[in-house]
Amino acid sequence: MKELYINARGMQCPGPIMQLHKTLKDAEPDTEVVIEVTDSGFKKDVQAWCKKTKNELVSLNEEDGVIIAKIKKKS
Amino acid sequence: MNKKILIIGGVAAGTKAASKVKRDFPDSQVTIITKGEHISYAGCGLPYFLGKVIKEKKELVVRTPEEFKNEQGIDVLVKHEAVKVLPEEKKVIVKNLETGEEKEFEYDKLVLATGADPFIPPIKGVDLENIFTLRTVTDALKIRKLLDEGKVKKAVIVGAGLIGLETAENLTHRGVKVSVIELLDQILPPFDREIALLAQKHLNEKGVDIHTSEKVTSFVKNENSKEIIVKTDKGEIPADLVIMSVGVRPNIKLAKDMGLKIGKTGAIKVNEFMETSMPDIYAVGDCAESKNVINNEPAWIPLGSTANKAGRTTGLNLMGTNKNSFKGVLGTSIVKLFDLNLAKTGLSEKDAAKYGFDIETVIVPAFDKAHYFPGNKLIITKLIADKKDHRVLGAQIIGEGVVDKPIDIIATAIHFGAKVEDLTQLDLAYAPPFSMAVASTITAAHVMLNKLEGKVKTVKAHEILDKLNDENVQVIDIREEPEFIIRSIPGSINIPQTELLKRAASLGLDRNKETILVCKVGKRAYMTYCTLKYLGFDKVSILEGGITAYPFELE
Ligand SMILES: Cc1cc2nc3c(=O)[nH]c(=O)nc-3n(C[C@H](O)[C@H](O)[C@H](O)COP(=O)(O)OP(=O)(O)OC[C@H]3O[C@@H](n4cnc5c(N)ncnc54)[C@H](O)[C@@H]3O)c2cc1C
Repeated sequence: MKELYINARGMQCPGPIMQLHKTLKDAEPDTEVVIEVTDSGFKKDVQAWCKKTKNELVSLNEEDGVIIAKIKKKS
Repeated sequence: MNKKILIIGGVAAGTKAASKVKRDFPDSQVTIITKGEHISYAGCGLPYFLGKVIKEKKELVVRTPEEFKNEQGIDVLVKHEAVKVLPEEKKVIVKNLETGEEKEFEYDKLVLATGADPFIPPIKGVDLENIFTLRTVTDALKIRKLLDEGKVKKAVIVGAGLIGLETAENLTHRGVKVSVIELLDQILPPFDREIALLAQKHLNEKGVDIHTSEKVTSFVKNENSKEIIVKTDKGEIPADLVIMSVGVRPNIKLAKDMGLKIGKTGAIKVNEFMETSMPDIYAVGDCAESKNVINNEPAWIPLGSTANKAGRTTGLNLMGTNKNSFKGVLGTSIVKLFDLNLAKTGLSEKDAAKYGFDIETVIVPAFDKAHYFPGNKLIITKLIADKKDHRVLGAQIIGEGVVDKPIDIIATAIHFGAKVEDLTQLDLAYAPPFSMAVASTITAAHVMLNKLEGKVKTVKAHEILDKLNDENVQVIDIREEPEFIIRSIPGSINIPQTELLKRAASLGLDRNKETILVCKVGKRAYMTYCTLKYLGFDKVSILEGGITAYPFELE
């Protein structure tokens, strides 16, 4: 299984969610993407986005103000 | 000199005045008479004592009467009530609440610092067991005991003001299921409705059940389950604990009985030196009226910050040598509700309307730190200004980020009579961990100026609600599709910014329809608005504050 990494730190909304959207669109099913974000709104956004797009939110953590999410593309 | 200073009430205002006068005039004889068991306690900490953020009583009551005597030479009599003042004889009749004995105290100067008491509406059953108010350490100890014994699974708080909601949060942290019942159509009455709605959303997300526009009609005890059934005009809620938190009323009985003037707010009338209508009698703190700094109207905003400041003023003035004046208040206040912070200063939109100001308002989301700095959070600033002279009249700030700094900046500015233009000029501290290069307050002032100068036409969230079903109106969300999917206004359509501009240029957008542009915070909508205006669209406006400040239902 492939794992991709996106550094979206410093990006303002909608940057991070757009990057995630594009990366997942081009990726193969079941690919896992780890994304790091400093935009605080991303935490709620990624949860809602995964729910609506049926991609799986594997984990969501915050460390020192950096939000780290792992998302698995739906198969 | 050896003047006798008698102070009635020994919490914030009374002890402050006592300490100040004794410090400046060590030969004065200062005595504090207070009804309760504790003095100088941190009333503002009581909700946090229930939530165990403050673990023990001793953290709230930091000083004893003995310490006042030994360290400052101030006499304190607890559990003593002043029952009557005889101003002609300069005497006060005081009752020892433990022995019932009455005694006369003479004074040269008298200070009324009798504070305020929770208002208890005359509702049937309000005197049942396990229905409390939260004002004193004694109240808090009783409630805390029930909580610590694990006897409280569900609680009802009547009244959604600052204290009621702080208590709701703290009880929730103790694992209690909390319902809040508010008579008005919004929580946090001093705040404007759209801000209050945002706070209500947050409280709901945290599991607090909120009922607005609902009236408690009676309390009934269920003899089997021992629960209190809180009956309202809309239903009933069972509870193990009820806290009545519908506001406080100034303690003016002594003042009224002796014929002191009472102001139109219902509190004791004083001048800027805290002098009442009778010589040598002062009133300060929650029992006294104050003035609104903005328009000099009488104001009664019972807060600890004011009680302490005005207490000091009183202490300085008691000897009549140093006339220190207290200018008045702006109603600056702040509260934390779970992850959300809210603050206000000056007039709300409602207040401004009441006083007849012709106002402009804006609502502007921004970050509290550099947007690229880890830990940055959004805050939303609502600014209220006078349309004619651009004077800043008030502000409300809400968000998970830092709100105390910007509210204090704006409070300071209003205190000194600043205009919106002045706000844009402030030299505020900036480095990424602390602020944006253009601080949120300055951004809000810029938006206000754009609006005052007619550079942008906006609609407010509640105005859009009516337009969503109007076929002559198109509400266009110009964010990118993934953002739109996450949450959007029901009935809005999604045409991302670049696509919209393309269509506008190629006449693919109906220019006869009223068009409202929606984005996340209002910035992209404003930029698009400018382009559309340039292209000759004249029925365009933008949603103020974007989706971020939209307090109604999203999908
Ligand atoms: C739960 C809670 C949270 C709060 N949070 C905040 C906050 O976050 N920020 C803020 O600014 N403010 C807050 N406040 C308000 C603040 O506590 C009050 O503004 C402040 O205590 C007022 O001080 P005071 O000395 O004027 O009156 P009080 O604290 O009311 O004290 C008056 C005292 O006088 C006594 N007394 C009255 N009549 C007599 C009599 N005839 N004889 C003898 N004694 C008498 C009373 O028993 C009382 O002990 C909060 C209040 C509460 C209850």
